Amino acid sequence: MSNATAARTLPPINEALNRKRRKARAFHDDLTSFWFLLPILALFVVLFLVPLAQTLYYSFTDFNGYSMNMHLVGLDNYKKVFSDSSTLQGLGFTILYAVIVMVGVTCLAIPLAVVLNKKFIGCNFVRSLFFFFSVPSLAIMGMVWKYIFSPMKTGVVNSVLSIFGIDPIPWLSNNALAKFCVIFIAIWAQIGWHATLYLAFLQAIPADLYEQATVDGANKWQQFLHITLPQLMPGIVTSTFLLMSGGLKVYDLPYTMTKGGPGYSTYTVTQSIIQQGIGQSQYGIGSALAVLFFVATGVVVFLQMGISNLISRRFQ
Amino acid sequence: MGNATVDKTSVKAKGMTFTARKRIGSAVTSIVMIAISLVCAMPLWYIVINTFKTIADMNVNPLGLPNDWTFDNYINAFKTVPILRSLWNTVIVTFFGVAIQVIVGALAAYGMILRKSRFTSAVGAVLMVAFVVPAQSTLIPLYRMEAGVHLVNTLAGLVLIYLGGAVFCYFLIVGYMRSLPFELIEAARIDGAGPLRIFWNIVMPLIKPILTTVIVFQTMGTWNDFMNANVFISSSELRTIVLQVYNAVGQFSTDWPSFMTITVLALLPVFIFFIFCQKWIVSGLVAGSVKG
Repeated sequence: MSNATAARTLPPINEALNRKRRKARAFHDDLTSFWFLLPILALFVVLFLVPLAQTLYYSFTDFNGYSMNMHLVGLDNYKKVFSDSSTLQGLGFTILYAVIVMVGVTCLAIPLAVVLNKKFIGCNFVRSLFFFFSVPSLAIMGMVWKYIFSPMKTGVVNSVLSIFGIDPIPWLSNNALAKFCVIFIAIWAQIGWHATLYLAFLQAIPADLYEQATVDGANKWQQFLHITLPQLMPGIVTSTFLLMSGGLKVYDLPYTMTKGGPGYSTYTVTQSIIQQGIGQSQYGIGSALAVLFFVATGVVVFLQMGISNLISRRFQ
Repeated sequence: MGNATVDKTSVKAKGMTFTARKRIGSAVTSIVMIAISLVCAMPLWYIVINTFKTIADMNVNPLGLPNDWTFDNYINAFKTVPILRSLWNTVIVTFFGVAIQVIVGALAAYGMILRKSRFTSAVGAVLMVAFVVPAQSTLIPLYRMEAGVHLVNTLAGLVLIYLGGAVFCYFLIVGYMRSLPFELIEAARIDGAGPLRIFWNIVMPLIKPILTTVIVFQTMGTWNDFMNANVFISSSELRTIVLQVYNAVGQFSTDWPSFMTITVLALLPVFIFFIFCQKWIVSGLVAGSVKG
């Protein structure tokens, strides 16, 4: 600002020189900005741009990783993807998983956070406990739950049930039950983390909003609906976004719990990409699947961002 | 604090019965919530308590306290599985992976707010696309690329894969950085500080809250990662801890207490990390999510 006033008081002859200097400075600034952006651009090219282009290219070829003699096969790989029942089942389960986990975690984590936001004896203990069991990796949790759900009488769930005279239930070897178990564990494992996220937002809501509402005679439910929920909107947007994008990418939990089985009932898109693309060296098919997956994720993520923007605008 | 003022008004309005009811309500909440949290935490109890039992003891009594406390499982675990080695691998991978990611992300965020030009908006759009790309869809070419330069099955190769997380760091940091008073940077510049110095001495300390959040997020993600480690690491001495646990399942197929012991040893460092950092995590989460 001091520069600008100085420039105004200078005689007009210096104006041109000044403009030149300003231009040079702008260029210098651009260059500085460029140097700061260079590392991330390099990473972008190496880790995203080149591999993505390659994926797209492989998806139109019959490349198998060994023979350099590859041919363009057009849309054959895509046709194969859509006619392969295991892949389709994987796609179905991945979507089912992402949607149910997102809805389930959101519907449970918000009330949980509201209760945890109150002061009661042991509230710090409960908060920590909920936060802590969302810390371990889902891969490890999957392995542990596999033991807990063991179909034999030795599995804890079944041995507890046997006390009540219930016969062992084949938790992970029945199609529908296995799906249920995987989704149930995913919700269990993520509630604490998302409740913590909501808790952070709840604590930022100014207390006088509630005082005002109490004076106006609003009951607890009305307060929740008209103050808490709208104020939580940015939190809901963040949380559902994380859940949706994470859910579509799911791999660890079903893989370590059931290996995608029984049959293909808990098979996921990611497992399919890894298995076909790297395990069986069918790069073409794996890549076609990866391209479809990228497009699908993009569409879902943008749709979801659009919807949540719409909703949050309505609340404001 | 808000609660306290509400309490006072309600006492005035409805007298003692209301406070009494409120107190009972709070006690009920307490009992219900502690009960729910304990039920939810049962699996953790189940894992920990069974590491002190023998196989036979665990079969008859899976949930209770051990009849005879035994530490053989721990001794055995250290003897049969290279746990320390795997922990060390994980520490190295997580440390370098997260440190580089966060620095690259913060540098980019600073470059972004420093200047608004066609170039920076183009970079912003490009990074937005990168943010949406799932790791899965670049996995096959990345595997081939690393195989080409002999980085598959090395810790450095694994770190390189994790660096993609820099884009996520960038997004969280740039939102926070935009809320900083730009005059501070302007003032430092007039005082003659170079861009790198401004970045390191002024900007970095100012964005500490969001840095904590980002570091916690990425540490958790990297430490717990299974997919990349499983794809890129094949030799046993390079396994990360999650991978080691995964292999222990096969090794101890019937010896559940041994498996649980490995699990406990794998989870312990993360729990310690979180107990020490809990305070910063929660405050960082508030700062990060409210401003970012």
